[in-house]
Amino acid sequence: MRIGLWGTVLLLAAPVAFMLAFFAAPFAAVVVSSLQNPDGDWSAANYIRVVSDPYYLKALWTTISIALWVTVITFLLGYPLAYFMAFRVRNRWFKRLLYIIVVTPLFTSNVVRAFSWIILLGRNGFVNDLLMWLHLIDEPLPLLFNKVSIVIGLSYIMLPFMVLSVAAILQNTDTRLKDAARDLGAGPWTTFACVTFPLSLPGVVSGALMVFTLCVSAYVTPSILSGGREVVMSMLVFQQYATVLNFSFGATLAVTLLITAFVLLVAYQIARLGYQKSRRLRGLNAT
Amino acid sequence: MLHRLFGHFGLTLYSWLIILYLVFPLAVLIAASFTASDFLAFPPKGFSLKWYARLAGNEGFIEAAWISIKLATIATLLALALGVPAALILARQRFRGKSVVSALFISPLLLPAIVIGVSILQYAHLLGFARTFWALLVGHVVIMVPYVIRTTMASLGGLPMNIEEAAQDLGANRFETFFLITLPQIKPGVIAGGLFAFIISWINVEVSIFNSTAELVPIPVKLFNYIQYNIDPLVAAISAVTVYVAFGVVFLIDALVGIDKAATG
Repeated sequence: MRIGLWGTVLLLAAPVAFMLAFFAAPFAAVVVSSLQNPDGDWSAANYIRVVSDPYYLKALWTTISIALWVTVITFLLGYPLAYFMAFRVRNRWFKRLLYIIVVTPLFTSNVVRAFSWIILLGRNGFVNDLLMWLHLIDEPLPLLFNKVSIVIGLSYIMLPFMVLSVAAILQNTDTRLKDAARDLGAGPWTTFACVTFPLSLPGVVSGALMVFTLCVSAYVTPSILSGGREVVMSMLVFQQYATVLNFSFGATLAVTLLITAFVLLVAYQIARLGYQKSRRLRGLNAT
Repeated sequence: MLHRLFGHFGLTLYSWLIILYLVFPLAVLIAASFTASDFLAFPPKGFSLKWYARLAGNEGFIEAAWISIKLATIATLLALALGVPAALILARQRFRGKSVVSALFISPLLLPAIVIGVSILQYAHLLGFARTFWALLVGHVVIMVPYVIRTTMASLGGLPMNIEEAAQDLGANRFETFFLITLPQIKPGVIAGGLFAFIISWINVEVSIFNSTAELVPIPVKLFNYIQYNIDPLVAAISAVTVYVAFGVVFLIDALVGIDKAATG
């Protein structure tokens, strides 16, 4: 379609103006205020406070460790399911049903999904009752309002993202590559380890980065399932903005959370560039 | 290959267990919402619709649901009005600074929702519209636009450009071409994107919570505040209703564009 320069300017004007006014400018305002002291002068005092106070460092560590646990768990649960959906399910209707099952939870709020675990994990909740009935435990395990419940709840919430990003890649892999590996005498193990899995890595990486980022910034799930006993960064951000009303320090915590959320992404990019460079130095084509 | 490692039925069994893990919590909520007891119980004690009746009579939640529906509807229309033209340009035009423009539209996907929430509050506070309907609205539109653009661009990608060229060669002007040729072709994708955007608003807490007040509170935020103090079957009933809505929307999107395509891009 020939739109022309004026058409382009005309059509883009409103959306660009809107995003600049209500997305870019507000974000800039947060970054600026995180670098100011109460008098409005430039200062790094807020950031120094975050990195020198053990309370904030502990919250930072809690946040990162929960996010790492959830990333690993969603991979262990999500990869096999994605593989199953991509290669084992032949019936089109059944495949569609599975996609509906995976996607529907994403369309319900985190409040609802976190709340369902309150019913399941309580002292007299279903999980404890079941384990007692099976005689696996003698008395109820403390499953709720601690790190365990946050990890279980977040894993449940993040699982669809991992499944979908791995399934998207596996769905489009050329199955003839697998057949070729088998024809050349590779066993099922070797075929998976040397062909299928490496081909699906982009899906695993994008799924893992997405899950990690979303976990670091998750607010609803940790605050419902921690019972106030564990503190993560997002809860501290909320506290500063909603109860303490110290916007400037809240902004600093928000920027710190943002940096933390991208830690894994940045590390991955650095590792990838390093890998490509080393391959080039060894005279191999970078992939 | 993986199934051989697990043994032939191992992978299937493991997959079914994970599917159960995905379905079970929502099923528990729905079951618990039908309990006849006055406290949350799973398995439910007896069967009754009394908690749904209580929900229908709860003015606070009905009011919050109205606010959510109004907010999601207006925000969706606004996001479509901004996102569809932007997607059209990004899919069809080359111009200097295009990568910067598309980064501006896609960034809200990358930025944590809670950061977007606090930035809207702080900015609205500076300009004097904090904790109003407008603050909620612009926050929601910002997080919807990337989804609308993505789904619209995906539908445009599957559309051969020569149809539009032919229309223009036959004398249709740009508006006629867009409204008579392009839009009807991409309609399912655009509607699916709109439904997706609607749901994003309908379930959002992180962006809304900072600009909510006691009177102006969307339903997920209302529910979030409620369960800090009460855990009763009423929560299960509200949750169950939101699950029914989610199912309805997923089926709609499936009918429009196919859920597997929509979900895996």
